[in-house]
Amino acid sequence: MSGLRVGGVELRSPVLAASGTFGYGTEVPLCDRPRLGGMVSKGIFLQPRPGTPPPRIVETPSGMLNAIGLQGPGVEALIRDYCPLWAEWDFPVLVNINGESVDEYAELAARLDGVPGVSGLEINISCPNVREGGMFFGKDPAQAAAVTAAVRRSTRLPVWVKLTPAVSDLAEVARACESAGADALCAINTLVGMSFDLGTGRPRLAFGTGGLSGPAIRPIAVHLAHQAAQSVAIPVIGIGGIGGAEDALEFLYAGCQAVQIGTATFIDPNAIGKTMEALEALDWRRLVEGTRAAISSG
Amino acid sequence: MFELQAPLIARREVASGMWVLSFSAPEVAATARAGQFVNLLLRPGPLLRRPFSVYRATSGVVEVLLKPVGAGTAGLAALALGESVSLLGPLGSGFQLDQAAGSVALVSGGLGVAPMPLAARAAAALGLQVHWVHGARTAAELCSEWEGRRVHWATDDGSIGYHGSVLAAIPEGIGQVVACGPNRMLAALAARFPRAQVAIETYMGCGTGVCLGCAVPRTSGVYDRACKEGPVYQANDIRWDVLPQHLHYGLGA
Ligand SMILES: Cc1cc2nc3c(=O)[nH]c(=O)nc-3n(C[C@H](O)[C@H](O)[C@H](O)COP(=O)(O)O)c2cc1C
Ligand code: FES
Repeated sequence: MSGLRVGGVELRSPVLAASGTFGYGTEVPLCDRPRLGGMVSKGIFLQPRPGTPPPRIVETPSGMLNAIGLQGPGVEALIRDYCPLWAEWDFPVLVNINGESVDEYAELAARLDGVPGVSGLEINISCPNVREGGMFFGKDPAQAAAVTAAVRRSTRLPVWVKLTPAVSDLAEVARACESAGADALCAINTLVGMSFDLGTGRPRLAFGTGGLSGPAIRPIAVHLAHQAAQSVAIPVIGIGGIGGAEDALEFLYAGCQAVQIGTATFIDPNAIGKTMEALEALDWRRLVEGTRAAISSG
Repeated sequence: MFELQAPLIARREVASGMWVLSFSAPEVAATARAGQFVNLLLRPGPLLRRPFSVYRATSGVVEVLLKPVGAGTAGLAALALGESVSLLGPLGSGFQLDQAAGSVALVSGGLGVAPMPLAARAAAALGLQVHWVHGARTAAELCSEWEGRRVHWATDDGSIGYHGSVLAAIPEGIGQVVACGPNRMLAALAARFPRAQVAIETYMGCGTGVCLGCAVPRTSGVYDRACKEGPVYQANDIRWDVLPQHLHYGLGA
């Protein structure tokens, strides 16, 4: 599969691995890599971060809550330990970048500019599991634009912006990021949730709240991805509760150019391979183009 | 690592409400080491897989031990013979048995007995003298299967064996201690046997090392992954005050 260029990145297929669910791509056994369109690496900050104390995960109806707290080795270790491997791989790797201030995002973008192995940046302004930064920037159109513009100025790499569902008007944030120079938008990150332990009466997650992912969020994600696609001219990458080809098709019908798979990889390490295989069997391009043509002429 | 459709071929009750399920999974049975686990997916069933220590692995069959406590474990326990689950494994690190120790105590509380039959066989194969030390609340809840001739039981109610904590039933002069059970029991064991090998329990998202959901607080200050670097640790490598104490072994939900 070739000739699929989305938001400045040459994808091998329209199905990518979502940030935080595929590590750094070095240890996902049993995944059928030739079908992987690309991957987004685990969210990184300039400095190493220990992450949140356990428990970090709890299962909920048709979903799960996580509060990992963006545990990671910091950008220098990423460049030293992983980028040289990625440079040898035949699918693109985008780095999910995080900061506590606009300047930190810009510094991270500048540091990753020109590093072999990095095909693009995904700005995470939507993480619910950190006390500073994270979702704060994604909730406000002006802040979202400020981060996007600062990153845009600091790198020649393609810039994708990952949106949070925790907004009253997603279209407004989407347009702000587009005007600030984003090459594509990713919708959505997790929704904030909470669950209490009936034995202790305390939150099940040590962090208190967590990000909800999995099939439980899919209809919300389809709606918001559709809203984003309706409001901007740049491509939208759909994320949220995708477990197979039919789920992916919903996002493609909603106007997305590609999708990312997250939680489903935890259940089936080859969820991405199977989804892509089934999309090929369905002749997804013909299906999606046919539907779009029918809608625009109808 | 393998992912197999594994049919249930047998089931037996080894203590009140505690079951051993036997799945046909030849590749996993041939490669699993003591202390490793498998991640089972039930369909229809809850979203995520459920991790289980490998109880026994012989002639193409992988056995796991479980107590129905939540939707996942109840669904697994209710599988009909011939029905299949997706079985992913073997996963995680295993016990490091020390041949020079001469003797080993396999200390378990309740469902924590799960990795011990395999550990007993590995220890016997190294020529170690094996002490089977197993405790539960009552005699009815003790696992009715054991390995070897040196068996030490303990019950909270004194209905059989030593009356009290299984820790008190550990014989003197043992070369190495290997343990599994509720985190609270393991924390107490760590104070007495800092160099014991312990298999610990955490919630898991993936079991394959990609989600960082199974964080184990190390004394070195970092969190690492129970599913990858663990679930077996040296007891004094763990910050027991940060590891959730209210989790039962085999919480499985
Ligand atoms: C355990 C876990 C860790 C995650 N870490 C990140 C992260 O580091 N950066 C990020 O932008 N999104 C992160 N996400 C969000 C996912 O990339 C994705 O947006 C979300 O899970 C919804 O997709 P899904 O339902 O397919 O999982 C994480 C999700 C999970 C479940
Ligand atoms: S359970 Fe996902 S990293 Fe261990």
